[in-house]
Amino acid sequence: METATHYLEIANDPMMWVMAIPVVSLVAIQAWLFTVRSYKSAPLVNLSHQQCRQAFKVGAVSAIGPAVAVFIVMVSMMAVVGAPMTWQRLAIIGAAPTELTATTMGAKAMGIEVGSPEYDVTAFASSVWTMALNGCGWLVFCGLFTHKMDKVMHKVTGGSMRLMAEVCGAAVLGTSGYLATAQSMISSPHLSAVIAAALSMALLGRFSPKWLKEYELGIAMIIGMVAAIITLKAQ
Amino acid sequence: MNAQKGSFDAEFTQPIIRTGMWTLLLAVPFSFFPALYLWWQYGAIPTVKTILTAWFMIVSIYGVEYFMTPISYFPILGISGTYMAFLSGNIANMRVPCAIVAQQVVGVEPATKEGEIVATLGMAGSIITNLIVVTIAAIGGSYLLSMFPPIILEALNYVLPSIFGGLFAIFAVRHPKYAVFAIAIASILLGVIKVLPVWLVVVLCSFSTIGFALFSSRGKFSDEDNGETA
Repeated sequence: METATHYLEIANDPMMWVMAIPVVSLVAIQAWLFTVRSYKSAPLVNLSHQQCRQAFKVGAVSAIGPAVAVFIVMVSMMAVVGAPMTWQRLAIIGAAPTELTATTMGAKAMGIEVGSPEYDVTAFASSVWTMALNGCGWLVFCGLFTHKMDKVMHKVTGGSMRLMAEVCGAAVLGTSGYLATAQSMISSPHLSAVIAAALSMALLGRFSPKWLKEYELGIAMIIGMVAAIITLKAQ
Repeated sequence: MNAQKGSFDAEFTQPIIRTGMWTLLLAVPFSFFPALYLWWQYGAIPTVKTILTAWFMIVSIYGVEYFMTPISYFPILGISGTYMAFLSGNIANMRVPCAIVAQQVVGVEPATKEGEIVATLGMAGSIITNLIVVTIAAIGGSYLLSMFPPIILEALNYVLPSIFGGLFAIFAVRHPKYAVFAIAIASILLGVIKVLPVWLVVVLCSFSTIGFALFSSRGKFSDEDNGETA
């Protein structure tokens, strides 16, 4: 038991926070640089500053719901790998389940289970290495090949803007159709959430007044969640 | 600084590629700082063999996703979106919905230049929100969580189905035919076939719907083209 407390003490060592700062800052810096670049390029495609502000704001507001949902998962992850690592890992690619799988694999490679008394600082270090190595898979691939994917995309659509838009719409429908179907199959409250949110989004998209537009997705999500709770309680 | 009308490629796309590349590749060494600190300060380092074994194990689970996920999302995210989403994560539940809602609210089409700028800004906004929430959660943690009323905690279990339903609806209204196709394919793969790994199901759903879209919109313009195979 003593060793178990020990590893979490080290995992929450103030210097571990400092070690997590570079990654978290990099995410903020990238978002800032991309924002600045977007503002500068906006006049080229006749977007006003006001439209840019609106786009940023819509993104920020619509993310509140999902971000708070991540919050809850975070707390359980913090109990396993400590707050600084959770902070670093969840600021970048790799959601909590992915990171916890990596944590487990890091321990398993030493023949140890996470949460057992044998899970000591070295085993924790092994988990930390595994999380980092795993995250790098996406970072390296996208860092090196993103601009190449664009060329392939142009080839497929022959550079036709109209076709690109169709492809984009189809890709969103393909993936969100999969995600929504998978969620619907979990339970009937999940199914109600999918249907209620989809219907309210469709209706809001058509009928909502201008001032409400920015909150559409947030409202649809709340309606979905309420529908799920009602279904749950009615069972 | 810009003012003169340069090309969109030189003004936006090329700088984004440069910034995107260095930020993602710099995140690689940065990711290892905690691991190196544990080694340096506490001498806590697993053997090379352990690290390689763990690496092998985790790659066997996620390795395919390293390239299949970016490829599947590329038609939605574009260049700048891919750099942002694959640095900051939370792709399906945050980046994609926020980009798309931003486009819808501002009133620009996806896969256009203005659409790309608006999506970039929407995602940037969502990243800032995420960083703020994640930071508050890391510091306040379980104490803050205990202040949430139980009903809210319960409701938050249904954020994902709600956001995916909403996202689906935005495009279903525009392309009802593709929407029906997408749901049909997903239902068959998840409800009837069932055995495929998740990454393959995602790829099949995305690309078969794209294939269907290419096929049906090409039919509109010319009969000469062959449909492509998925």
